[in-house]
Amino acid sequence: MANKYRDLPIQIKLTIVYIFASVLILIVNTSLLFGINSVLKRLESTYQENLDLNEIVVSLNDVQDSMTEYLNVKTTDALENYYISEENYRSKIESLDSVVSNAVNSRMERNIKYMSEEYLKEVSQTIEAKRGRNVEKYRMRYEKATQLYEYIGSYIDTLNNQQFAENSQNFVRLSKGLRTTERLSLAIMFAVIFINIFFILQSASQMTRPLKKLAKSANEVAKGNFDIPLTPPESRDEVGVVTSAFNQMVGSIRDYIDKIKESMEKERKHKETELMMETHLKDAQIKYLQAQINPHFLFNSLNAGAQLAMMEDADKTYEYIQNMAEFFRYNLKKADSIITLREEIELVDHYIFIINVRFSGDVKFEKEIDEKLVSASIPSMILQPIVENCVNHGIREMAGEGVILLKVFRIMDNICISIKDNGKGMSQEMIDRILNGTYRDDGLSMDSNGIGMDNVINRLRLFLGSDDVISISSEGENMGTEVRIYLPMNSDEDDYV
Amino acid sequence: MKRRISKNYIFFSLYVVLVLLTAFIGIRFVSVYFSDGSNQANQEIYDKYYVVISDDNQSSFWKSVYEGAYNYGLENNVYVEDLATGFSGDLSKEELMRIAIASNVDGILVSADDSKEMTALIDEAASKGIPVVTLYNDAPNSKRISYVGVGSYNIGTEYGRQALSVAKSIYAENPDEQINVVVLVDSVPSTDQMMVYSTLQESFEKDALSFRLNLDMVKIDTTNTFSVEENIRDVFLSEDVPDIIICLSELDTTCVYQAVVDYNQVGKVNILGYHDSVTILQGIERGIINSSIRIDTQQMGEYSVNALLEYDRAGFTNQYFTVDIDVINSYTVSAYMEDSANGK
Repeated sequence: MANKYRDLPIQIKLTIVYIFASVLILIVNTSLLFGINSVLKRLESTYQENLDLNEIVVSLNDVQDSMTEYLNVKTTDALENYYISEENYRSKIESLDSVVSNAVNSRMERNIKYMSEEYLKEVSQTIEAKRGRNVEKYRMRYEKATQLYEYIGSYIDTLNNQQFAENSQNFVRLSKGLRTTERLSLAIMFAVIFINIFFILQSASQMTRPLKKLAKSANEVAKGNFDIPLTPPESRDEVGVVTSAFNQMVGSIRDYIDKIKESMEKERKHKETELMMETHLKDAQIKYLQAQINPHFLFNSLNAGAQLAMMEDADKTYEYIQNMAEFFRYNLKKADSIITLREEIELVDHYIFIINVRFSGDVKFEKEIDEKLVSASIPSMILQPIVENCVNHGIREMAGEGVILLKVFRIMDNICISIKDNGKGMSQEMIDRILNGTYRDDGLSMDSNGIGMDNVINRLRLFLGSDDVISISSEGENMGTEVRIYLPMNSDEDDYV
Repeated sequence: MKRRISKNYIFFSLYVVLVLLTAFIGIRFVSVYFSDGSNQANQEIYDKYYVVISDDNQSSFWKSVYEGAYNYGLENNVYVEDLATGFSGDLSKEELMRIAIASNVDGILVSADDSKEMTALIDEAASKGIPVVTLYNDAPNSKRISYVGVGSYNIGTEYGRQALSVAKSIYAENPDEQINVVVLVDSVPSTDQMMVYSTLQESFEKDALSFRLNLDMVKIDTTNTFSVEENIRDVFLSEDVPDIIICLSELDTTCVYQAVVDYNQVGKVNILGYHDSVTILQGIERGIINSSIRIDTQQMGEYSVNALLEYDRAGFTNQYFTVDIDVINSYTVSAYMEDSANGK
């Protein structure tokens, strides 16, 4: 039953509660009214006995009067009156008690009844005697009847007084009782109403409790907290429906979030794999190159070539080979480690020398270097790839003499390394693509040492932990390109200064 | 969930029970409050209805007689009523007799007298089939079925014994003086009273001290309500106040007792009383009343009802019942005081 009730719609539930409370109050009220009513009825009938007795007295007087009248005048009217009153009186005394009991009133009634019967007998005999004109007899009987009449009257008076006293007591008691009943009724009504209010409050709270819980949960969800414990619906009413719908919604949202997280994870993994593959590829390339030429062998061979050139007095060849040897030695020794700016610049010097031999002195290399700053740390193989880019993309495709200007100077707390060429320049789009890493070289050119710009930029950014480490600027077509690297000055440089 | 349902269930049932209980208690209270007053419920019905018509239903003597009759009646499913109490006015015994006859009662216990009227009324009752038992005072010429009395001879003898012992102590103190003994009787002395008087006379004559004893009777007018008291006072106002006063009724005893105190005659006048009302017992205790003859009034009531019952049952009964008498004096009074205090 409780379950069925819980599943009813709220409207019906509320109606049931209100009807129930009202019906109970109605029942209580009705029964109290009934009680008061019965008291009132009793109050009204308190003096009924006295009224009845008075009627009997009136009736008795009628009999006596009609008899006396008949004796006096002997008219048929009087006789008729006598018969009527006699009948009337007889019917009245019929209702009186005729048993002997311990209740004084009932005994009195009994005596009055018997005396009345005796009296009526006497009266009828008197009338008979009068008819028979037996003067002596009817006078005697009249006296006897009158005596009885007086006794009855006296008896009734006594009974009347006694009952009046009793009834007055009853009346006082009843009217007191009525007041008590009124007060009691009021108290009971209050008690019942109080209980009812409590009941309604309890029922209302029972109905709204799941709603409150739901509201709390909804608030949490609104704040973005999806990890709330979901309360199962307590009933199948509207609140229950909303609760289960809410729970379903929260569940769906959770699932959705999980799916998004999963797909993001997948994507990340995908990218990682891609990156790994690229790295592996690079690694493979390096390994391949390394496998092709043992740098030591190459270095030693170049040294041997240099000695041979010296013995043959081919100074230029010697110098060339020497530079080559230095260049490879450097590559061999310093690859993927932190070195000083000075060593980097030396490498650039070697490279320029080699390039100038290869391209018969087309590249003019100028340096404006603040010597105080050259001991700063820098990842290896940074400057050379940039210069190589200048040569390959900037200068080689231009007509005329290419100039590369390397400047190292201080701007505020930074060491600025500027590499500027006077080549064909770069479009802004190209610069942007290089800087955000979307530009890719189409394979390594044959003249490259294998390290691309994106590699240089990434390593620099990783090394310095900042994106703002490199800038590329070009003033336009054939106006050259300037690459600037900003290294923060650390305490070592300060000491050095 | 399960627990919550049962909790709600309990709460709901508690609510209904509480409301109905409140209403029920209220209604119950109201109905109980108003039903206790009605004596309809404990009304008992009796087989027979006897009435007592006494000389004076206010005296403790007659009350005691009535009580005896009433209690004995209840035991036999008979309701005995003192008829006079039902009337606000003062009715004579004859009027009460007429009422009883007209009321068609089942039996009448009457303190009768020898008058023609009373005898006629008793006969009328008998003719209507209502048995009459005379109590204490007889109507010997009537058709009463029985008389329950005290035996005037016994009383006379007892009074004689008491009077003589008092007389002897007076004689011992004043051997030369005559000792006056008076007996208070009704203005028309009943047979019983005359019997008592003559028995008393007889016992005095037999005694050696008779030459010193003067026995006399003083008639007290009992017809008028207050005349008894006035008549008795007259006795004390006369020149020759008697030494011993013998009272043959409770009222006489009480009046004499009061008069002795009022006229400062304590110790000079010796009272031989009648009956054992509280006042009389106190008088004996204080030494103002010498002794009193007590009639077993309860027994008298019982015997009279028994006579009627027996007549009803068998059609006849003893013509004469004698009830026991005791003498109460200063030695035995305390026991009677206790009895009366206990309501016996």
